Amino acid sequence: MDPGALRSLTPTWVGNASVTVVAGKGGVGSSTVAAALALVAARQGADVLLVAVDGRPGLGPLLGGKPIGPDERVLRAFNRKGRIRGRTIPPAQAFSDYLELKGISGLLRKAASAASLDVIAAATPGLEHLLVLGKIKELDREKVADLIIVDAPPAGLAAPFLRSASALQAVVASGPIRTQADEVAAMLADPRRCQGLLVTLAEETPVNEVVELAYDLEEKIGLTLGPLVVNACWPDRPGLHMSPTAAARAQGVKLSRAAKAALDVSGEFGRKRLEGQSLQLNRLSELLPLSRVILPRVPTARFGPAELDLLADALSVEPVAAR
Amino acid sequence: MTTPPTLNDVLANSSLIVTCGPGGVGKTTTAAALAIAAARMGRRVVVVTVDPARRLADALGLDMESRAHEPHQVHEVTEGPGSLSALMLDAETTFDRLITERAGDPERAAAVLANPVYRSLAGSLGGAQEYMAIERLHQLHSSGAYDLVVIDTPPSRHAIDLLEAPDRLVTFLSHPIYRVLTLPSRSFAKVTNAGSSAFLWLVRKLAGPKIVEDTIEFFRSLATMEEGLRTRAAEVSVLLRDKQTAFILVSSPRAEAIAESTHLVNALRDGGFRLGGVVVNLVHPLPPPAEAFFNLAPGPLADHVAYHAELFALATSERSEMAELMALAKGAAEAELPLLDGDIHDVAGLTELAEMLVNP
Repeated sequence: MDPGALRSLTPTWVGNASVTVVAGKGGVGSSTVAAALALVAARQGADVLLVAVDGRPGLGPLLGGKPIGPDERVLRAFNRKGRIRGRTIPPAQAFSDYLELKGISGLLRKAASAASLDVIAAATPGLEHLLVLGKIKELDREKVADLIIVDAPPAGLAAPFLRSASALQAVVASGPIRTQADEVAAMLADPRRCQGLLVTLAEETPVNEVVELAYDLEEKIGLTLGPLVVNACWPDRPGLHMSPTAAARAQGVKLSRAAKAALDVSGEFGRKRLEGQSLQLNRLSELLPLSRVILPRVPTARFGPAELDLLADALSVEPVAAR
Repeated sequence: MTTPPTLNDVLANSSLIVTCGPGGVGKTTTAAALAIAAARMGRRVVVVTVDPARRLADALGLDMESRAHEPHQVHEVTEGPGSLSALMLDAETTFDRLITERAGDPERAAAVLANPVYRSLAGSLGGAQEYMAIERLHQLHSSGAYDLVVIDTPPSRHAIDLLEAPDRLVTFLSHPIYRVLTLPSRSFAKVTNAGSSAFLWLVRKLAGPKIVEDTIEFFRSLATMEEGLRTRAAEVSVLLRDKQTAFILVSSPRAEAIAESTHLVNALRDGGFRLGGVVVNLVHPLPPPAEAFFNLAPGPLADHVAYHAELFALATSERSEMAELMALAKGAAEAELPLLDGDIHDVAGLTELAEMLVNP
């Protein structure tokens, strides 16, 4: 891919920054969205590095490759140099790389390994997260890929992970750690280098949580946010608002008793889900002024490469502008 | 052949229940529903929650920041002899209390509590929140005020952090660096003056001199508490493996959650912890199968048929994922909770859920 070709990716937001951090609370599918995003870019010829901070084991196989580990490996290759490489960044490895980068060797290096990162990290809270972000910053500076996609830690950890640099700035006044924290904070706040992609579901608690997370990240670290991804939405089916009997009558079909029983159950459940979903989508529009991409609910509990292709297709559509 | 226990049995016979599982599966709500079920059986129950969603916190009366960290009674749970109290875990407050208890004299406690390294450590030390969860459960369990303590664990990637927390704390305290840092002051000064503590040199070089001073001070104040912390860690380790302690795994039927849960079931078994029950939450309903409709034109009935097909496929796939987990968790009580239309926001909603758990 030519330099600057990041800009030619569609939809345009995909190429807005060279690092995209995908984050969401547990269970909303943010890792899957990170993998789908990698697919969107690589299919167009981009060289993508997918960094799984927490090393979710299923992510490599989902892309058709082997499980992701600390050693970088190619998970999938496409035409025109497009490919997806994957790796994790264990904090201990990031630490040792960092010491090497800073030219810290000999006695100090020995001390570092003897002390173990655990103890040093205990004295410098947030250090592990900072080291991982610092490594990502270095990878970006070295331009190891056209696009780096970071699958941020799930559950309640996304915010502490991204806030580690600003938290350390408050505790550490000087020295290389401070420099590192400053540089990471600068990367996170630079819209050309970094953007955040937040993932949620159209359900009450995930909506509340993503609103909180979005304001937290924008206000506290100045992270520029891409479109909001609303995952696992049922497609709108207006017919569900009619009873199956009425729907059949409208289409001139007579329902068997068994068919009526089956469609009554699914129709009742589906109508309520759709009502709940549109209620939550409306709340999102009111609470968060972000454009958004709706991803379909794929009707399986187990995702594979075929389902991921579907999500990548849905992610390739230009987002709907905020109201 | 013995029949597997029901959740009723587990709720009636345990004095400590730990709910655990992957994030985003409704663990906290399930913990609250389990606690209500036990209270309605006539037991005096306290539920400890971690980071509950806003509406659940409201339902449990945890909306007032000022009182959320102490147990207080939840009303309208039962008219019988049982009762339910609830509190929200706050790692920092619990850590402060631990330090105050163990410090010996108030002046030393105050010094530790004011230390900047301690302040940032209390909220963010790897595993601190997990350790504080079990510290709190120990306090409540030994207080004698409750028949049953239900504790929800912090959302955790591998969900076993909690179980390892006591051991990790002991490992931390036994670390050679910690030994150096806790030497009596005079020899300590010699060590640092001689520059032979490469560790401190490194920290100073990386993070500046101020943090070194604070770190030294913090570790030295902690030294006097080491024995107490070790004892507590050992007690909790035994309590978690007691025969009246039951772990209840909460999962969703999605493949990723099932994979994490499987990992957790094995970790519990390896660690000698008892898995008392498995609750699969957020399950889609399985509609009866429908016959095929051929050549159906687009329209309202086609919408119904398409939706039925998708829901049927999804619900079937969820059931096959669940079957794998249930096979692995053989011998534990099983329960299934449906995906609800909205969040639970009052005691009545939790009570409905409790009924589904104990009267499947």
